[in-house]
Amino acid sequence: MLPYGVNATFLAKLEEIVGHAYILNDPNELLTYESDGLARLHAKPGCVLLPGSAADVQQIVRQCHQHRIPFVARGHGTGLSGGALPHPDGVLIVLSRLNRILEIDIANQRVTVEPGVINLDVTKCVAPQGYYYAPDPSSQLICSIGGNVAENSGGAHCLKYGFTVHHVVGVEAVLPDGEMVHLGGPALDAPGLDVLAALVGSEGTLAVVTKVTLRILRAPERVRTILAAFESTDAAGAAVSEFIAAGIIPAAVEMMDRLTIEAAEAAVHPNFPKAEAVLIVELDGTQSEVDGLFEIVEAICRRTGGTEIHIAKNNDERARIWRGRKAAFAAMGRVSPNYYVQDGVIPRTKLSEVLGRIRALEKRSGLRIGNVFHAGDGNLHPLICYDEQIPGQGDLAEKVGAEILQYCIEAGGSITGEHGVGVDKSAYMAKMFSESDLDTMQKLRCAFDPASLCNPGKVFPTPRLCGEVPGPYRQHPAERAGLAERM
Amino acid sequence: MREGTSADAVEGIIPKFVAEPASAEEVTATLEQAARDRLSVVTRGSGTKLGWGPPLQSIDILLSTARLNKVVAHRHGDLTATIESGATLANVNRELAAHRQWIPLDPYSGDRATIGGIVATNDSGPRRHRYGAPRDLIIGVEFARADGVIARGGGIVVKNVAGYDLPRLMTGSFGCLGVILTATFKLYPLTASSQTLVVDLRDTRQLAALAGSILASHLTPTALEFQTPPLRLLLRFESIDASVQQQSATARQMIDSAGLSARTVTGDDEAELWTRYGAPRAAGAAVKVSAMPTELASTLTLLDRLAAGNYSANGRAGLGVFVLHLDGDAAALEKIVVGLRESLPAGRGSAVVMKGPVDFRKQVDVWGPIGDGLPLMKAVKQRFDPDSLLNRGRGPGGL
Repeated sequence: MLPYGVNATFLAKLEEIVGHAYILNDPNELLTYESDGLARLHAKPGCVLLPGSAADVQQIVRQCHQHRIPFVARGHGTGLSGGALPHPDGVLIVLSRLNRILEIDIANQRVTVEPGVINLDVTKCVAPQGYYYAPDPSSQLICSIGGNVAENSGGAHCLKYGFTVHHVVGVEAVLPDGEMVHLGGPALDAPGLDVLAALVGSEGTLAVVTKVTLRILRAPERVRTILAAFESTDAAGAAVSEFIAAGIIPAAVEMMDRLTIEAAEAAVHPNFPKAEAVLIVELDGTQSEVDGLFEIVEAICRRTGGTEIHIAKNNDERARIWRGRKAAFAAMGRVSPNYYVQDGVIPRTKLSEVLGRIRALEKRSGLRIGNVFHAGDGNLHPLICYDEQIPGQGDLAEKVGAEILQYCIEAGGSITGEHGVGVDKSAYMAKMFSESDLDTMQKLRCAFDPASLCNPGKVFPTPRLCGEVPGPYRQHPAERAGLAERM
Repeated sequence: MREGTSADAVEGIIPKFVAEPASAEEVTATLEQAARDRLSVVTRGSGTKLGWGPPLQSIDILLSTARLNKVVAHRHGDLTATIESGATLANVNRELAAHRQWIPLDPYSGDRATIGGIVATNDSGPRRHRYGAPRDLIIGVEFARADGVIARGGGIVVKNVAGYDLPRLMTGSFGCLGVILTATFKLYPLTASSQTLVVDLRDTRQLAALAGSILASHLTPTALEFQTPPLRLLLRFESIDASVQQQSATARQMIDSAGLSARTVTGDDEAELWTRYGAPRAAGAAVKVSAMPTELASTLTLLDRLAAGNYSANGRAGLGVFVLHLDGDAAALEKIVVGLRESLPAGRGSAVVMKGPVDFRKQVDVWGPIGDGLPLMKAVKQRFDPDSLLNRGRGPGGL
């Protein structure tokens, strides 16, 4: 049986828009799209559409708006918070066919792409001219720019270069009522409210982005990477504090603990030292600046108890170090049957305190917890190991993850640094934000999506409707299911 | 709250009441009263930008943030600080310098401008080239809504994607969405050494060529400015001394090989140069122009024609954003602004009137075309301030 609203007439209209080959509603075909990177959550969408142009997207959204059908836009499905989880009564708009690089403007340092373009492909298309796209999430080989915009993706190098929001200068987007808007543009400072900044990181709840203009950067003259082993994560943390006190902002500072080092070693053999903690510090910039600061970094590492210190001699060695770091999540599969990736943020200076609490939690829960951090900006990625086969362990892992988020909030941090709230963490929003904070965010959502159709049920703990829905009143699916009430 | 006097007048308009709240609660109380009695509210920091935007018709309540002027927290180990909106940037940076850190913003009149005003206008200066604008540095905001309710977005950590980006939404909103109470920024370490190169140029072709080659090089100047008349390019390097020396030497080589010569300015002279840099004409109008960096030269050539040489300009050669200073009567000024906008298609440039004589600002479309995003922006304003009490008519697009 077709879900509510997505009936045969509606499907026929959608098929007219995208063509027979690009509408999927066979249960087996839908299987691929049931989850994003957070596989434990899944839902079957009413149908899946693979539009081939922005105009198609606009028509689909118009149809959805007219018939009050919820829709979810999705890129390559690498998100880790269930942000692209389909709506069971709705349409899933998969943007992977919108994968063209539309314009490369080296002199003005701009690249315009469709949302399905892979993150790393942006860098690839400008690398021959000596440029790159800075945000580098670990999934950059497969994740899409549209997803990056939705999640405001970061990456190891965002300490110095910022997040997606710092690198998106303009978008074309379809609003939830089917209107197409152009926000920002290749030129800076387009007059108007910065609704573009609000759209970036809105986890697909405000609009569907169909074109993105990105800022690219000149590749630095020099990059130097050091790998230092420490006897404890505290000692490694002390080194990071000293970098900051010395006025150094490295391009990246990453920390891994014993368990994640072992896992990475087993998976990709980066030849990391066996230690309680390793720090990866990368400096980039002009040759004289990097060389000058690198001496200080190396001295700090030695002074704060760095044991084995390895300086990458060439690009291959540097790539090997980063392979070890970027493989850390997936590598946990080598040391544990299942693992749960948490993403929380703390003020960097609370690292030692919060790690202490995580250690105690590890003992108390009996679950091993590996830790990978973007140590420069306090973004923690605890990897909670469990075995699905052991009854109750999956639930326990989730509880442990929740408790770690509580530590982050108590330390003044955030429940997510880069993976987003999605479905996974919407329940924690009320712990981090007050009722009036959330109410204010709802005002923004209602300005974009008064009919609550665009990726509903994500980010916010209690779905609420906006009132003043234009057009004839129809009961919202969430209302009908008793999940929401009209404000 | 007290009654307004002529000393409180904004462009000749005396506010009915003046509120000088000393706490968030007092801001709430003021706004609650305004909402109850449908009184319009104009927010004032130190008043450096009160003349920006369309002229005011009337002011019921002038809400001054002057007493909200503390550095709430300087978390130097985390390179962040939370500042009350009425604090001046200059005072804040003096305080942050105790740990050799700063908010790397240097808008003109930064000595008097407040954090709230700088955030509300997203105002920046030469160092934007390296460090970005307030939008790039803000990580948290606390503000009072039109109904007096206090809301917070972002936080005190640099990396944070929980919830909508209210800090950036408030940045550049010209006070039309709420009254900013505090803003939290990521900070930068103060640099050890600085040097500025000044290059005199003959024409805009030379400007385009030299700025282009510097942008394409590995140099990392903190500022890359042009100024006219006389036309010149200014490059500032700030880093450890070895890097400043090396970059300066490399830049001088590039300048030499272009057949030009550079004057090196350091120490007190350099400080003096940048303090006075970008001073607007006392009367006259100022227009913020944005163009694609490669179209900067042609924009200046167009201006030569439109303004018949009677203008001065200075701004970010690498970013394409500059301030145009003009003199003349309202009709002449409007003609220049309109002519400029014709050459700047939506998304590829803009010309927004910042300040100018009241009759000019009454006559001209201050913001220029906003594009197809305007209805959305109006919807945001409507949700945040349904009775349009906050800075009525002064927000982007006349919100």
